[in-house]
Amino acid sequence: MSDHPADLIACSMARLLADGETVFHGVASNLPLVAILLARATHAPGLVYLNIGGAVDARPTRLPKSTVDPALADGAVCRVTLADFFDLSARRRLDTVFLSGAQIDLHGNFNLSVIGPFDRPKVRLPGGAGSALLASTARRTILWRTRHDQRAFVESLDFVSACGNVEWVVTPLAVLKRHEGSLRPESLHPGVTFEALQEATGFELARPEALPTTAPPTDEERKTIEAIDPEGNRYLEFA
Amino acid sequence: MSGKVIALADAVARIDDGATIALSGNTFHRSPTAAVHELVRQGKRGLRVVKTAGAYDVDLLAGAGSIDRAAVGYVGFEALFGLAPNYRRAAEEGRLVVEEHACYTVITGLRAAIQGVPFLPVAGMFGSDLIPAREWKTVFDPYSGEELVAIPRLAPDWAIIHVHRADPEGNAQIRGSVFEDLLMANAAERVMVTAEEVVPPEALRAEGAQATVPGFLVDAVVHAPRGAWPCSCEGLYPVDDAYLSAYVEASKDEAAYREFLQAYVLQPAALAGGEPL
Repeated sequence: MSDHPADLIACSMARLLADGETVFHGVASNLPLVAILLARATHAPGLVYLNIGGAVDARPTRLPKSTVDPALADGAVCRVTLADFFDLSARRRLDTVFLSGAQIDLHGNFNLSVIGPFDRPKVRLPGGAGSALLASTARRTILWRTRHDQRAFVESLDFVSACGNVEWVVTPLAVLKRHEGSLRPESLHPGVTFEALQEATGFELARPEALPTTAPPTDEERKTIEAIDPEGNRYLEFA
Repeated sequence: MSGKVIALADAVARIDDGATIALSGNTFHRSPTAAVHELVRQGKRGLRVVKTAGAYDVDLLAGAGSIDRAAVGYVGFEALFGLAPNYRRAAEEGRLVVEEHACYTVITGLRAAIQGVPFLPVAGMFGSDLIPAREWKTVFDPYSGEELVAIPRLAPDWAIIHVHRADPEGNAQIRGSVFEDLLMANAAERVMVTAEEVVPPEALRAEGAQATVPGFLVDAVVHAPRGAWPCSCEGLYPVDDAYLSAYVEASKDEAAYREFLQAYVLQPAALAGGEPL
């Protein structure tokens, strides 16, 4: 049985996290939440998990649908405020932040604000939340997007909500990394060809000489994801 | 009880049309919903809302036509229901001006107000279209010459903060996540506290200075049990998914939405909040 893209995304993002680093997620971030808890349960037990409720190193036992929920403070060692985490990033001490964009371009710049003109949008999106500051001040940003098509990966953004230190982009088709300012595929998920990835992407991708297949989740990772998120909140964004 | 305790309707009546109001909590958590519903009931117009990340509260105020400006970092229903239906419609139809912020610029603007200065510089952000779209200017560090984006003061006329407990003087205790509430209370001209429980001052003193918001900042205290519903109040009640789902469903159709507002917001019976659907 092939893995659900949510599991591939969560697993790929978890593997990007290093033991001992500080990592933050914000609103509407169900997949990063699973990735963080998976990394901590596997290769990164010393990960310092920070979230929007100001919880430090929380040990949630139940995953809520809202990633601002008080349940994500359960077992925390300390409660500060969101402003403290933004401050941490502003002084370049936050290691990794997870963000997403409705539109993402070749350079890893992204749009969460509007489709169409800013003052009279065709679609008013939720807004970039903390991303304009976090993407430019956190040591690195990992973007995720649950759809990989030419509407999501565009030649030209309608609006640049945020840009900066984007290092990775994880999608249902591939893991991309930014090299010298441009995204290029680092691995293709099982069954995805470079041609299919290019077809789904609105800008031209450089083809690396070696393009491995993303390692699917191991049995241990699958079991751990299921134990972390038995209710399947990681699938919400695919609904 | 005496002190600053007044009825919800009387407290909300003090807020003028056109006022800038900052709302406590974050997305679906500890919003001052009882006061938001009362703002709608009293037919307020031209309000400007301030919040880092809003959801039901900002969406409802947009849907009811109470706000025409929103200084916000995010308004959405997270992965539960996606885009905020009435907020987006109001913005797309030109009835609502979105003064989009990055959440940290809301915080920075509030901090400028708190510190009594007209602006504060912020780290990073260059390359974001928010800078030209919001007509934010830059300043140069007089010592190093470094260029920084200057975020103007954000001083709400009112902060409306929903809390777990407050005494009659407005000393107010929040359990768990405080979010930007203390910043809002300090930055605002006036503060309204809506409290799950109004307790004697001794209750907060006896436990060792447990208030989060000092009473000297507070102008009005309202007893509002379940006052965050359908949002959560940490330790007391969770997000009411069923209500929010019905709200989003009703929002697809103008007539259904008006009917929904009538049943759950405009009726005084809805005051109690938390009658499960």
